[in-house]
Formats: sequence, structure tokens, C-alpha cells
Amino acid sequence: MTTGVVTALPRVDDQDLTDRIIGDHAGRPGALLGILEKLQDANRYKYLPMETLEYVAMRTGIPQAQVYSVATFFTLFNLDPQGVHTVAICRGTACHTRGSRALLERVKLQLGVGATVDAAGKVTMTTPDRRFTIRTVACFGQCALAPVVEVDHAIRGHVKEQVLIREVETLRKGGTR
Amino acid sequence: MTEKVKVRIDGEVIAATAGQTILEVARTNNKYIPALCYMEGLSTVGACRLCMVEVSGVARLLPACTTPVQEGLAVATTSPQLESYRKMALELLFAERNHVCAVCVSSGHCELQTLAQEHGVTSVRYPYSYPRLPVDTTHPRFVLDHNRCVLCSRCVRTCAEVEGAHVWDLAGRGVGSRLVSELQRPWGEATSCTSCGKCVQACPTGAMAEKGFGVEEMTKRRAAVSRLTSMREGE
Repeated sequence: MTTGVVTALPRVDDQDLTDRIIGDHAGRPGALLGILEKLQDANRYKYLPMETLEYVAMRTGIPQAQVYSVATFFTLFNLDPQGVHTVAICRGTACHTRGSRALLERVKLQLGVGATVDAAGKVTMTTPDRRFTIRTVACFGQCALAPVVEVDHAIRGHVKEQVLIREVETLRKGGTR
Repeated sequence: MTEKVKVRIDGEVIAATAGQTILEVARTNNKYIPALCYMEGLSTVGACRLCMVEVSGVARLLPACTTPVQEGLAVATTSPQLESYRKMALELLFAERNHVCAVCVSSGHCELQTLAQEHGVTSVRYPYSYPRLPVDTTHPRFVLDHNRCVLCSRCVRTCAEVEGAHVWDLAGRGVGSRLVSELQRPWGEATSCTSCGKCVQACPTGAMAEKGFGVEEMTKRRAAVSRLTSMREGE
């Protein structure tokens, strides 16, 4: 199945790597998920630029609309550049009742970001200097530890406002967790 | 692999072929089951939940369009429970987008409208969500109005399976789901679109329509008539 004429080869960072990742998966059923995941991981800002999606569609023969559909369905995929540090706040029921909304608002205030809606309707919050990205998660599955916050892929339970503020401040000053 | 099976639909024994769906068997035997996302010739997705039926021995309702028949299957196509369920599904479809029949290109030819009339949907119990949605008029011949889309994906399947172009797909998830062409390009800029118009024909509502049929487009040129008489006055 073809996706029509691609007039110009889209510019993709590190063409070789991209081709290798596509080559590794090409032809397997369900290859698209693996390709997109690897490509996002290889991207400096951990996102999938439109050029990349277009290139993947062209090389794999998967229709562009289908590639876009998959990329927007899974919250794992980002269509916007992500910050260096990620703060993911759980907005599940248990965490909500334990005050996760206040945590979210507090961190947004601290980093000075407002919510923006990307092309696909996902809510993303990245600071203009791309140092921090705040995201919300439906549930980490750690409800006993509510409220749960994930800071740079490390899950914290029973998070208090002051602790979170201090942690974010450390990262902001260039420290590590 | 044409194993014959006997099934009961609303008490009537019907001969069917194993592998057929309940909906297919019902339709070929003039048993009516409402459906919105089902279209003959396309794959089935079970998205609209209007074809739900009661199958004896199964506690929950099953979608007729995706449930294959088995020997001895007994199906009820109507019941008070099914009626209330279908009515609710329809009301939720109306509440989800901005369906205003009075100004719609498809008023009178709309499957959603017809189903609502059939099921006596005179009002919607749920608050309307009034989403802010765009209208894509970039295609020279067709127009896509997201406000009238029910996300049945008939256009998506028609384009992919019948035309083979796969211009359309559904992006996002949940209430944020949208019909998109290619990488969310305007329809008029979609290079894979062959402008065949099959998606427009497949659309059950007024979401996809040919240009020139919109209520606001049906303007009349009365001045031309007046001008004719004024020109003839000199004769």
C-alpha cells in the first residue's frame, strides 16, 4: 500500500540511525510501535518531529494517517520537544483525593509554565528553556503511596509539597537527584 | 468451510453460515438491527454500540456486527433494556459534538437523525459538551465538518479498504479523538487523496459533504431575475 507521492525527502536527524532502526523492525507485524519508540528515544529532545513521522511512513509503506494515529493514541509518544527533566504527577483518583492537584499547581507555579495543547490535543507543559517538562499520568498503579510523583523516572510516594519543591529546585540548580 | 448452523433471531429459526456475524444474518433475513458504524463491504469495528443484542446465556449485551454466529445461538434484537441502551448511546453521540440538524447539509438524509427519530430521542439527558471544532474547507470539492462527525470510521475504512489510499485515520483517544487526514494536514493538501469522494458517500452524517450543498451556500440570485425584466423594459 502506498501513501502517495513524497515530493521531497524529509530531513531527519541522523539519517543512518533512523534507517537502521526502521530496517531492524521493517516487515514485522506491529513494527510501527517499536520503530516509533526507538526513534523517540534516539531523539535529543525525546520527541517525534513531523519529519520523522513522514519519513517512517515513507520507508515502511505504512500510511501517514495510520502512523499519526498510533503516535497520538499512546501517551508514551511526544510530538513536542521535551524538557531535560521530567516531573510526572499522578492525577488518578487516589492521588487526587490526597491532593495531587495542589502538587501539580504548585510545580507549575514554581517553574512558571502554563498548559499548552499540542497538535494532537495532548496537554503538555514544557518550560521555554526546555529544562523541565511537567506531565500528568492517569495512574502509576501505586495508589497506596498516594500522592505519587515521578521525577526523572524515579517514583516517589507520599509526596509532600515542600519535598517536591525542594527536589525540583535541586534539579533546577543543576544538581542531580 | 461453509458449515451450516441454525440460529434463532427473535424466536425465528434461521439457517446461517458459520463465521457470519449476527448482524449479517439478521440483515439477510430482513431482521432489523440498528447500526451506525457498520457498512456492507467494509470491515467491522463495533464502535457505535447501536447494534447491541441480547444473546441467551450471555449476561452482557453483545455487538451484533462483530459477534459471529454459532450453532444454537438465540438472539433477541429488541427488549426494553436494549431500547434504553440504544437511546442512551444515541443521546451520548448527540452530546459529544455539535449536531444541529436545522442547518446541516444532511438533514433528512442523515443516519444519526433517522436513528434518533426511530428511537424516539426527542431530548438529550446529558449536558452537551459543545467542543470547539474546526471545519476543513481546503479540499476543492468536499468539506469536512468535525462538529458533525460521530467517529464511526466508515470514511477511514472506505478509503483504506475500498480506495486503497488510507488518507484518513482517527487520532488521539477518548473525547480528544479526531478524524485526521495524513499527518493532520488540511484535506486539500493531502497528497494521497485521490478526490474519489467515496468517504463522502460513506459518511452517515453531514460531517463529510460535497461543497455547494450547505445551508449557507444555498444562496439565490434574485437580482438576476430583476435585471432581466429591467433589460426587457426597453424593448
